[in-house]
Amino acid sequence: MKRIFTKFSVLTFLCFLFNYTAFAQNITVKGTVTDGGDKTTIPAVSVQVKGTTTGAQTDVNGNYSISAPANATLVFTYIGYTTQEVPVNNRTTINIVLASSAQQLDQVVVVGYGTQRKIDVTGSVATVKGEEISKQASVNPVSALQGKVAGVSISNNGAPGAAPLITIRGTGTVYGNTGVLYVVDGVWHDDISFLNPADIESISILKDASSLSIYGIRAANGVVLVTTTRGKKGDAIINYNGSVGVQSVTNAVKMANGTEYATAINEINASKTPPDAPLFKDPASFGKGTDWYGQILRNAMVNNHQLSISGGGEKTSYNFSLGYLNQDGIVERNNYKRYTARLANDFQVLKPLKVGYNVSGTASNSNDIPNSIFYQMYSAGPVVPVRYADGTYGDPNDFGLGGGANFNPQATLDFFNRKSKNYKVTGNVYAELNILKSLTFKTSIGGDFGQAEVRNYNQVYVATASQRNETSELGVDRTEDRNWIIENTLTYKNIFGDHNLTVLAGQTAQRRKSYTINALARNVPYSSEGDLYLALGDSDNRYINDSGVLTTAASYFGRVNYSFKDRYLLNASMRADGASQFFGGGELWGYFPSIGAGWVVTNEPFMKDQKVFSNLKLRGSWGKVGNAGVPVNPSTLVITQKGGYVAYFNGVSYTGKNIDTMVPTFLNWERSSGTDIGLEAGFLDNRLNIEADYYTKTTQQAIFEIPVLSSIGLGNSKQIGNQADFRNRGFEFVASWRDKTEGGLTYSISGNFGYNQNKVMKVVTGQNPVYSGGEGLANGSLPTRTMVGRPVGEFFGYQVAGIFQNKAEIASSAQTGAKPGDFKYIDTNGDGQISEKDRVPLGNPNPKFNYGLNTSFAYKNFDLAVDIQGVAGVDVYNANIGLRFGNENFTQDFFKNRWHGEGSSNTYPSTNVGSTENARPNSFYVESGAYIRLRNVQLGYTLPAGLLSKWKMQKVRVFANAQNAINLFGYKGFSPEVGKPTVGNYSPLRAGVDANVYPLYATYNLGVNVTF
Amino acid sequence: MRIYKNINLHKVCAVLITGTILFSTSCKKSFLNVDPQGKQPAVTFWKTQQDAIDGVSSIYGNLRSWSNVGFNSLAVESLGGDDAEKGSSSNDASYLNAFNDFTVTSTDGQVSGFWEGQYQNVNLCNQVLDNVPAINMDPNLKARLLAEAKFVRAFAYFRLVRAFGAVPLRLNVPKTPAEFNLPRTPKEQVWAAIEKDLDDAAAVLPASYPAKDLGRVTKGAALSLRAKAAMYQKKWSEVLTLTNSVMTMGYSLFPNFDDLFRINNENNSESIFELQCEYNPGIKDASNSQYAQIQGIRTQAGYWGFNVPTQELVDAFETGDPRKEATILFVGTTTPQGDPITANPGDPSRYNHKAYVPFNTPYDNANPRGGQQNVRVLRYSEVLLMNAEAANELGNSTQAISSLELVRARARQGNPGILPKVVSTDQAVLRNAIYKERFVELAMESDRYFDVIRQGRAATVFGPRGWKTGKNEVWPIPNNEIELSANMLTQNPGY
Repeated sequence: MKRIFTKFSVLTFLCFLFNYTAFAQNITVKGTVTDGGDKTTIPAVSVQVKGTTTGAQTDVNGNYSISAPANATLVFTYIGYTTQEVPVNNRTTINIVLASSAQQLDQVVVVGYGTQRKIDVTGSVATVKGEEISKQASVNPVSALQGKVAGVSISNNGAPGAAPLITIRGTGTVYGNTGVLYVVDGVWHDDISFLNPADIESISILKDASSLSIYGIRAANGVVLVTTTRGKKGDAIINYNGSVGVQSVTNAVKMANGTEYATAINEINASKTPPDAPLFKDPASFGKGTDWYGQILRNAMVNNHQLSISGGGEKTSYNFSLGYLNQDGIVERNNYKRYTARLANDFQVLKPLKVGYNVSGTASNSNDIPNSIFYQMYSAGPVVPVRYADGTYGDPNDFGLGGGANFNPQATLDFFNRKSKNYKVTGNVYAELNILKSLTFKTSIGGDFGQAEVRNYNQVYVATASQRNETSELGVDRTEDRNWIIENTLTYKNIFGDHNLTVLAGQTAQRRKSYTINALARNVPYSSEGDLYLALGDSDNRYINDSGVLTTAASYFGRVNYSFKDRYLLNASMRADGASQFFGGGELWGYFPSIGAGWVVTNEPFMKDQKVFSNLKLRGSWGKVGNAGVPVNPSTLVITQKGGYVAYFNGVSYTGKNIDTMVPTFLNWERSSGTDIGLEAGFLDNRLNIEADYYTKTTQQAIFEIPVLSSIGLGNSKQIGNQADFRNRGFEFVASWRDKTEGGLTYSISGNFGYNQNKVMKVVTGQNPVYSGGEGLANGSLPTRTMVGRPVGEFFGYQVAGIFQNKAEIASSAQTGAKPGDFKYIDTNGDGQISEKDRVPLGNPNPKFNYGLNTSFAYKNFDLAVDIQGVAGVDVYNANIGLRFGNENFTQDFFKNRWHGEGSSNTYPSTNVGSTENARPNSFYVESGAYIRLRNVQLGYTLPAGLLSKWKMQKVRVFANAQNAINLFGYKGFSPEVGKPTVGNYSPLRAGVDANVYPLYATYNLGVNVTF
Repeated sequence: MRIYKNINLHKVCAVLITGTILFSTSCKKSFLNVDPQGKQPAVTFWKTQQDAIDGVSSIYGNLRSWSNVGFNSLAVESLGGDDAEKGSSSNDASYLNAFNDFTVTSTDGQVSGFWEGQYQNVNLCNQVLDNVPAINMDPNLKARLLAEAKFVRAFAYFRLVRAFGAVPLRLNVPKTPAEFNLPRTPKEQVWAAIEKDLDDAAAVLPASYPAKDLGRVTKGAALSLRAKAAMYQKKWSEVLTLTNSVMTMGYSLFPNFDDLFRINNENNSESIFELQCEYNPGIKDASNSQYAQIQGIRTQAGYWGFNVPTQELVDAFETGDPRKEATILFVGTTTPQGDPITANPGDPSRYNHKAYVPFNTPYDNANPRGGQQNVRVLRYSEVLLMNAEAANELGNSTQAISSLELVRARARQGNPGILPKVVSTDQAVLRNAIYKERFVELAMESDRYFDVIRQGRAATVFGPRGWKTGKNEVWPIPNNEIELSANMLTQNPGY
């Protein structure tokens, strides 16, 4: 211990403060702790001298050493195993075999405001251990959950540093904050991209309404509880994890080459009435042309390093970690760096009083890329060279490309200069006091302080005829978040004979404030980054603006967990939340009860002799949750003051203000109530475990923005209110098998499967649908519809019967204005004309099936993990095909299959696919979004222990892993995983519309774990 | 370890628990009562003279909005005419072609956008007209501000009734459920409301303002729009009386027809009402007029090239009429300001010269290019042409010829060899001459389509493009609006 501490003076100081002296006349007991099932050694098992606070911990090889009185009793405890007590009896070597209690009695799960024995849980809570997360190549901890948990759907966004989209048990809310709540050591967050995945001890995903309702106010979309690592008693453990990897585009979509592009554009021109002259005289002369994806995309490096030191003495424990991530984007120039530091300390100040803190700092910065670059790579003409022989940029104007392809993506990228920086300090301090033996009071104050800065500089340049800028602009946006949360809980825990009772009462208060300031100045010079100050720009025509959000909440909650003989379980909770959002003209307080019951059948006497089940539990629960993630003061009418209302008289500006909104006179909380019925069973000595759940969750009075009569003249002709009900219903199934063969192979295989059905039950507009999804799509068409009896945001449009082959066919159809090569739509209502009345549902963007298969194998010094993940029963709207303004490029698939003359195709239209009629939302653009992928493969080798002791190391493991190496899907776009859009805000009303064209990529890493 | 012995456990408990209780009690309602951030509650509004002024400013500002001057209005008010067609590149916003070939359906986004935009104007005016009367302020200023709001409300209803026929007439901010969902008011009553607002406005508004108020609506504007409203109803004697009085108010035709539309000649002697637009990048979204951007020359960055002149318009000009080049920018020519007009393949060969902003006019990437170009709504030459048309309809060919000649004389710009004076006193011949003069004088100013319909010639002039009598006199009522009204609103025939 001393050896380490001399190296780390800060820790030395902290630890010496609370150091202790060990007992004198003791003997040293050594031994190894192994798993009774697979016979592997178990690290980090707590070894304690019974009745004292003396303790130690097993090292990575399962070895421990403890000084104890010769007549003492040692207590061995480890999560997931049955605790053992062994008298020392003068022995100096005691080897212990711990019986696994996996899925059994003593396994503990983190739940809201506490922990519960797994067996006592009556709701649906999934736990993912930190080691499973850190074994993935994901740099975002949420991404690492993909495929791990039944009922949790995760869509990644390819941009480095971007948060993935996570949906738990279907879309239940569509307005305001539709994201899940992350609770990191008691502090609430909307996003945990700032977390170093290696700092995570465990993640609990609360899925059913009864588990969630203790987080009432913000629980409607699910809660993810993150517990970070803390020091454990024992010698300091220094751990280094490092990996270096490469990210490489997979499943790239081939675009038409130069000749194909020129041919296609000539066909567009020929299709006009009267036909335009061909733009390209000799398409063949262009050959392959420029492959813009090849030009702009690259194999990108990613470096990840983490160092942690943890340990503890009798009265203190500490955990300190540093992390560094340097990730290049697959687009040239794109880079993301993240620095993280965490420090956690716990002090047993007095026998009944424990205090501690946990603070983490994150700094990240990125060199950004323009959002338009993906669209530009897709659209740019391959006939345009990147550069001419003289080094100047290839100019689309020289080729007459004009609208839709009027850019050279390389120039766009080269003159883009935006940097983002994020700083965040978050953490909490707590005190835990055992007032009585069975009564514990805990208070915790948490804070979250963040600053985000975006600096954008648009320099003066001339790249091509239309890519130029004559006036430089420097824009600075800065957002500050200042949040705090206070929690006080009182827990009473006692056992009266066969009765096991836990009672929790608590209170919390929180305040969240966010403030953004934006400024812009023109004609800012640039000789170095040091010039980029607003002050150096023009003093007139500067622009400044700001905005802010402030919310507060006060909450009270209580929970009772009762079990009788570990057979009959009863859990009940109640939470009351007051939210400032609803102050004045709203229902200020929301109340969220829950109840759950369980029956552990295997603990019944009559089950004693049966051999089939090693565990069997039935459970059912019901609960209510709320969503206060709505705009602040939704029922306070405010004045609209905006630039568009500024009047000019004699050239001078005058402020304009007026009232152009309408607010509901009263707003209720959006509430969901849900029921979950589950079964857990273990067979064959718990080697086989299954867990099945059926659930239904109904969101009532969902806060929903509905269109109002535009003749009322509101600014956006919309009003929010409690105006819709949604239901998600489904089932989940998890089966896992874990064993060790005679030959020494330890392995586990776990499969999970979730089915969800989403349906709109009620909208105040009655049968009137709410259309959406037009953002970023050509011709302002709205491809999604939300209406009663259908899934939220389903795709809606015309059904394509085929392609018009000739004029005669058109003349005899309902689309007399069509041209050969156009879509032939089905006149579904048979009125002899094609109109909006002929539109039909085309597909569902809400995935019906999510599944994952996670396996791990260990043989001697080798370990292997293979994870497969997929979704099915989901559709994607490929908006990229019809999004045409002029001479955009086509995919090679489209080019090869296009209609180009009678009989050439009856499925793909002509190159005139961007015309008004062809671009209307229709079945051609809707494709299956099902995919299956090799999510993660990791092969590791642990160096033999003998070798290491020479180097004074405890463990060295080298590994190689691959993420998303194999992806199978039928979708013709870049990736069926359509996450958040690159432009605009995400809304479940327009999910699954692919206008992103963000390519999918795989990551390959080589790494090493070293423990000293 | 020793240091802790002095700490009394009970004290620790007491501190922790007292702290908690103190905190809990402070969490009363006041903690949850959070003020709106950066947004002024409406209950504090409409209290002062400044509120009234700011409210009226918003009415003017909103007239620059996308639906007032952008695609929505150009589609509904311009593209149906034989002077204009979609332009731009063929696939870009090809849905606008529906206005040129009369295949517009009730779900069209331009129609609903135009409808919504005009009612937004109506709401802003109604807010002022409902709330400003109670404000304690300078009574003369109050009367004038209310008159300004009435003018803009009349202007919005004029645009609505011209485009849709009968529309719900809202003269107050709706308060009760019954006021929210209104049926269509017969168009005669809408016209009557327009006339009343304009009469009220004309009675109060000054003929002119001190320089600092340049751009506000005047008595002349109210009378001219009142005359135009009468013209659409064929109330010829009213048109004649009203235009006669405007003709005594000191307006005069600007000598050079081309220069008339340039930025440095805004608000000139011929201007009766124009929308005031500026390039003002210091305020976000305050340089938001996209009128010139939408119609500008495509080879210039930031210009889109929609709403371009047709061959029919080219052919409509008499030989040598300088207004032809002043109205139509032909590709291959150079503007008087020295800008060469070029085109890429697929670009239009003609542009609207009246919306042309010289290339060296300041702009940036954050604001629409050409955002400083005012939109000319009412020009004195239109008053003269209304006067001529009314006089002719009433059989006063002398006055008709004289007013018509004023317009032609200006166009002639001193060149006696062109645009001979119209001398025929035959009512029909003169009528056609006036119609034609309106066509070329006011081309690309969003009047031609409605003029031809009003003149009862649409089946002849637009028929070949698909215009049908009994249907296309008006555009469809937006389908979404009909759905939201639970069929309180009815659709126009044929849609």
